[in-house]
Amino acid sequence: MTPALPIAEIWVYLAGSPLFALLLTLVAYEAGLMIYERSNRNPFANPVAIAVILVAIGISLIDMPYAKYFEGAQFIHFLLGTATVALAVPIYQCWDSLRGKVLPLIISLLCGGAVSILTAVFTARLFGADLTIQKAMLAKSVTAPIAMGVAERISASPTLTAVFAVCTGVIGAILARYILDALRLTAWWQRGFAIGVAAHGIGTSRAMSIHPQAGAFAGLAMGMHGVAGAVLIPLIADVII
Amino acid sequence: MIRGLIILLSFQSAGEIVSRLFSLPVPGPVIGLVLLLAFLIRRGKVDAPIDIVASAMVKNLGLLFVPAAVGVVMFLPQLKANFWAISIALTVSVVATIAVSAAILRFWPGHRQIVAEEHKEAA
Repeated sequence: MTPALPIAEIWVYLAGSPLFALLLTLVAYEAGLMIYERSNRNPFANPVAIAVILVAIGISLIDMPYAKYFEGAQFIHFLLGTATVALAVPIYQCWDSLRGKVLPLIISLLCGGAVSILTAVFTARLFGADLTIQKAMLAKSVTAPIAMGVAERISASPTLTAVFAVCTGVIGAILARYILDALRLTAWWQRGFAIGVAAHGIGTSRAMSIHPQAGAFAGLAMGMHGVAGAVLIPLIADVII
Repeated sequence: MIRGLIILLSFQSAGEIVSRLFSLPVPGPVIGLVLLLAFLIRRGKVDAPIDIVASAMVKNLGLLFVPAAVGVVMFLPQLKANFWAISIALTVSVVATIAVSAAILRFWPGHRQIVAEEHKEAA
């Protein structure tokens, strides 16, 4: 017996249990966080993006199919729903500071949402993207789980919509600071809300890491955009496409 | 901590039930968020067990996106033919969305005063 065999057996066992996928995801995210902190929270060192790239490289190297990885990582994925519920706490904590801001927040959300749809669909059309892609652009500024449901109702591809939603979140988390600085927004609640409208969960996660009030308002914007998008996007989908 | 987890999962379940019962387009967790928010407003405070679990989750929100987002990366090669159209469309859209929603908040009549007052409070 060569000693390689037991190791191979152990590896088969590890790769088959959720342990490997869980460990890989946690280690990749911790590495992403370390790089993010080291870079002084530079938006380009987005911890989610770094973790995703590391995991993708990791599972490609060992030829693990994504479905197999997800089987293990679904324990982390499941908590996304619970964390969404938990966003009620930071939103509640800034509830008192909402006074006098409700109307501007709603208008900001509706205009931001409309601009997000129109610019995405028409830019894609201008650059020759086909109808499948244009349709999947409609719901991409809404948080991924809602976006996929909306996509189904307007007969767009849920997978493609989720892909665009996640990319939107990462791009928004990276670019937000520069746009907000250019517009000279100083209030954390304004900065957070604008990020949440455009870049839902991943943007909210970035806002949380910068300032609690920015995070709370980003979460508020994400929730409002989710509800408004679920109701309004199916109504306007046919007009735009 | 367990008590906080029970409360959060209960609100998530309640949201899931409401969403399915009335076949709403909004998924369970978002309704759970609204229900928990209503509960907290009625109660007037955040109990420690909820606060502990919720803060830990919200602080590590990014981690929870990783498993699904890896699927996105694995899907990207299929979009090669439309790579530029998609990248440009997403970037233009994100920049425009942030700029418009931010500009409305910043230039809303009377808001500069609200912001100024808050800064005074902070100081």
